[in-house]
Order: sequence, then structure tokens, then C-alpha cells
Amino acid sequence: MDFDFSVITDHLSFLGSGIAITLLLSVLSGTTSLIAGFFVALFRLYGPRWLKPLVVLYIDSMRAIPVLVVLVWTFFALPIIAGVTMSPFMAALIGLTVHLAAYAAEIVRAGVESVRPGQSRAALALGMSRAQIVRRIVMPQALVRMLPAFGSLLSITIKDTAIASVIAVLELMRQSETLAGQSFQPIEVFSFAMLVYFLMLFPVTRGVDMFYRRVAHLGRS
Amino acid sequence: MNKSATQSGRTKAGGITIIRYRGVVKRYGDFQALSGIDLDVHAGEVVCLIGPSGSGKSTLLRCTNGLESIEGGDIEFEGTALPRDERELRAVRTRMGMVFQSFELFPHLTALANVAEGPRTVLRKHAAEANRRASAMLAKVGLADKAPNYPSALSGGQQQRVAIARALAMEPDVMLFDEPTSALDPETIGEVLNVMKQLADEGMTMVVVTHEMTFARRVGDWIAVFDAGRIVEQGPPEQIFDAPTTERTRDFLSHLGWTG
Repeated sequence: MDFDFSVITDHLSFLGSGIAITLLLSVLSGTTSLIAGFFVALFRLYGPRWLKPLVVLYIDSMRAIPVLVVLVWTFFALPIIAGVTMSPFMAALIGLTVHLAAYAAEIVRAGVESVRPGQSRAALALGMSRAQIVRRIVMPQALVRMLPAFGSLLSITIKDTAIASVIAVLELMRQSETLAGQSFQPIEVFSFAMLVYFLMLFPVTRGVDMFYRRVAHLGRS
Repeated sequence: MNKSATQSGRTKAGGITIIRYRGVVKRYGDFQALSGIDLDVHAGEVVCLIGPSGSGKSTLLRCTNGLESIEGGDIEFEGTALPRDERELRAVRTRMGMVFQSFELFPHLTALANVAEGPRTVLRKHAAEANRRASAMLAKVGLADKAPNYPSALSGGQQQRVAIARALAMEPDVMLFDEPTSALDPETIGEVLNVMKQLADEGMTMVVVTHEMTFARRVGDWIAVFDAGRIVEQGPPEQIFDAPTTERTRDFLSHLGWTG
């Protein structure tokens, strides 16, 4: 079997645009899902009582429904219901955020609940208010404890962007499929795609791990 | 039973009453943790609460600054009943320092920032003023050189001294110690007890839950012996340790191997 990797070098800008879209979608959906997940967790932990069942329903349903289904629904069904047109990229960003925010929320909640109650008691004994305790004592420690789980979530986010190919977002996977179909060289093209995903993810997961090892003691009470 | 606070042998009973417990009852579900506690703490006194584990000593301490609510009786602090309102309770807590068995230093803050946290966040001092006060308190407990260290880089005894400095930085009227040396290695217990002794010598009012009988005997002005949620005997250390009037006190002390 002969391999001809000129198909890659000849179409670098085509594949490069896919890589750029993948990175952009990863960074945007990673950021929005973290922010949204943070607020969802705050609602679940400290929100009004009536809101909690709704938050739990949201989290449970997002954990039960495949991300592919969420993306397809967001792209094909949501525009009809909401009466708006939406680009594939926008639909992917919304779908991924809604899906991943549920996981982010559970990470935040677990992080907050893992901070020992004695820390809050010590802060109460100093005369601090509940809000001050959350902001200045519990959350900083919880954030450190959440780092490894956030690292995993970030890698899942980058990988999940490949699913956006089914709603025609021109990201790396979609561009690879197109190129593989036209060139009849799926081995070279998809191997390249695999390599690129690996090269994007590896530094992220390793970087988070190394950073966590340096700051872990700040969350250890 | 000698439940009422007889004042004989109480050298500092002339001072104003800082904390007054009357008939304090605390329940956890069906379990009665405190069944009618009567006790006075006067200004400048070191009152030691001793007794077996689970007898209610730590519970009483937590009720004192409102970390736990009480189901019956009264706790007065400086002549006023403990408020129920959270905001008013916070104001009271700023005047009571508390030290925990497990230190509970904030791991994400340096020793200096731990001590400065209360003045900064609660008393709303400027950073410079809070840090100046924190430095002074760290120096007081002999840890000026550890100011930039995080708790993870400190020994247990050092962490507990920082915790004492953190409480002192609020300039409290009374210090509550909840088994401050129980989680420490034997070789670091002494450094913490020395700091507490120094505080007592300076006239700080202190309520100390402890299993350190030598400390209670030497530093305590008044000893309350707890058993099953009651004070079975209270009196000056000479009475409790040399001539206990109740069987329960004798039992407890002999179990600890106390020989006077």
C-alpha cells in the first residue's frame, strides 16, 4: 500500500480553515459552558427552593441525551420553534454549551461540596457573612479542586466539536470528510485529522495536570 | 451534685461576667447534647471544660458564638442575650475568637493573609492596616518568619498558632478554644499551650475545652466537669483535681491516670 501525503500538503489551507473553526468552537463553547455551568451550580446550591427541581431536571436530561441529538435538535428544530434562522456554527455553539454546561455545573457543585464544613465554620466564627464565605473562602478552594475535572471537560469539549460536522459546521472533521471523499485517500486524510486532534488535546490535558500539581495544596484543607 | 456555681475559691469572680449560661439545653433530634448548663465566665478568667468525649463540652462552645442554636435556657454575652438574627450574631462573633481542633486555616491564603482575612473582610480595614495587625499577631505567637508561608508548609503546632493569631487579630473580648491540641503531635503540643498560657497571663478571658489536665490544673481559674450533657462539678482547680466532691469527677480523672 502506498501512502501519498501530498493530499494533505496540497490542501493545507482547506484543512487549516477546519482546524481554525475547531479551535474557535472549542474555545467559545468551553468558555460559555463553564460560565453557564457556574451559574447553574450556584442556582442549585444557593438558589431559591422552587428553582432546584428545574435545575436538577435540566442536568439529568442533558446527561441522558446524546450530544449528537442535542446538536441536531438545536439546528433543525429550534429555529422552527423560535422562528429564527441560525448558522450551523451558532447552532453548534448553543447546543454544545447547553449540553456541556450541565457537566460543568456538576463539577462546580462537587467542588464546592468537597470543601470541608469546618472551613465555613471557621469563617463564620470570624464574623463573615454567607456571601463572603462563598466568595472568599469556599469558592477559591473549590476552584482548585475542580481543576482536574475541568481539564477532562475541556478535552471532551474539543472532541465533541467533531460532532458538529453532522450539522455542516466546516470544522476539521467536516473538512476531512470532504477531502477524503474527493481524493479517495481516507487513510491519509483521517490519520492527519487524528494527529491534529491529538496535538490539540495533549498539551491541554498535560498542561492542566501540571498546573494542578503546582496549586493543589491551595485547595487542601 | 454541685451544679450551681458556688463562688468559693474563685479569685476572679469580682470581674464583670463576660458569658453567663443558664439552663442551656441543646438537642440533636432525640439526642440531648446539653441538659441544663449553668456556668459563668468572668473577665480575665480561664475556664476549662473537661470531661469524657461526647459529654457536650464542644457543643457548649459552639452554642456560645451561635454556630449552633439552643433549644432552651439562655446564653448572655456581656450582659445581652445572644441574638437570633444572623446579622446581629455576626457582630457578636467578631468579639469572640474561636480556635478549632482541626485548625481550619484557609489553605489558599498565606499565614499572613489568613490572619489579615478577618480584619480585612469583616472589620473592613485597609489592606495595609490589616497586614500590619496580622504581622503583629504572628509575631505574638512567635511566627513572624512564617508570614509568607502557606498552611501546607507549616507543622500542626505552627498552624494552630497561626489560627490563634487569626482569632486574636479581631481583638476579641473572649477566646474560645475547642480542643486546640487534640490533633497535634505530642512534640508540638507544648508550643501551642505556651501561647495559650501567655494569653492567659495577659488577662485574656478564655473558655478552653481540653484534655490537657496539666494545663487545666496550672492555667485554669475555674474548672467545669462535663458528663452526659451536664456539669457534674465545677470549682477552682485545687478542688477539682485535689479534692473532687463527686464520684464522676474522681472516675474521670482516674481514667486519665491523673494523680495530682
